[in-house]
Amino acid sequence: MLESLFGNQVVEKILFYLLVYENGYIRGIAGAFNLPVTGVVQQLDRLENGGIIVSQKKGKIRLYTLNPRYPFIDELKALLARAKNALPEAELEKYYRMRTRPRRKGKPTRG
Amino acid sequence: MDKVDWKNIGIKELAILVSGQLKKSGIDAVLVGGACVSIYSNNKYESMDLDYISPASLKDIRKALGEIGFQKGAGRHFTREDCPLYVEFPPGPVALGREFPVERFNTIKTLKLLTPTDCVKDRLAAFFHWNDYQSLEQALMVAKKQPVNLNEIKRWSIKERMEGKYAEFSSALKKNKMFK
Repeated sequence: MLESLFGNQVVEKILFYLLVYENGYIRGIAGAFNLPVTGVVQQLDRLENGGIIVSQKKGKIRLYTLNPRYPFIDELKALLARAKNALPEAELEKYYRMRTRPRRKGKPTRG
Repeated sequence: MDKVDWKNIGIKELAILVSGQLKKSGIDAVLVGGACVSIYSNNKYESMDLDYISPASLKDIRKALGEIGFQKGAGRHFTREDCPLYVEFPPGPVALGREFPVERFNTIKTLKLLTPTDCVKDRLAAFFHWNDYQSLEQALMVAKKQPVNLNEIKRWSIKERMEGKYAEFSSALKKNKMFK
């Protein structure tokens, strides 16, 4: 969708992920798309160096978010949202509709 | 450069020196971030890094700063072995939240930096978006020490959709009558 613009598909996936879920950590993002961790780290570093995303340590995890102070953040979000909505339904279902609501500790899960 | 006491150099002195060196190499750069707070608060807040926004390439900057002994480290940082302060070149443009380009700056000798009013906005942007109370403190330090345009800061805050947080800044400022 936007990989030609962003340089590669990993960046596109990372940005869609951060747009939808608002934050993400390396293994979470890599796991969601079944991508190699090193590739995700490389692209996260690139985006962070460019000021497009920012990260913060939360406990032992480094959490990444879109940078709210990136000067083109509104335009970037609008572009990402439009492009994401044009993805095939199966892809949206698979990657961008994961459960985000809380789950009480100890609650049994199905399957 | 032999006369420079790199180990004990102050942030303002280093900023003037670095800016002068960049200027000598034809590189335009604006000091932003915490270093401006240090300068405007007379070091009440001590920043350890100088953040410059420059349209020049890192390659050109590397060459210019190499002449005064600063080497490029990982990312966009430059360090000098005997100097505790470091210099960074975050990606531009100079922006204050959603507002850019910024075209009016302050100057101190060779140094071009954010005006006190824009410095307050810059710190408030971090407070607004990350709920960072250290940044609010820094904004207050500058607003108390320097003449700032509060109407302009209010206008900008509203445009940033942060009227509530501006009220918090304004109320904290009013508790201290030192500001102009």
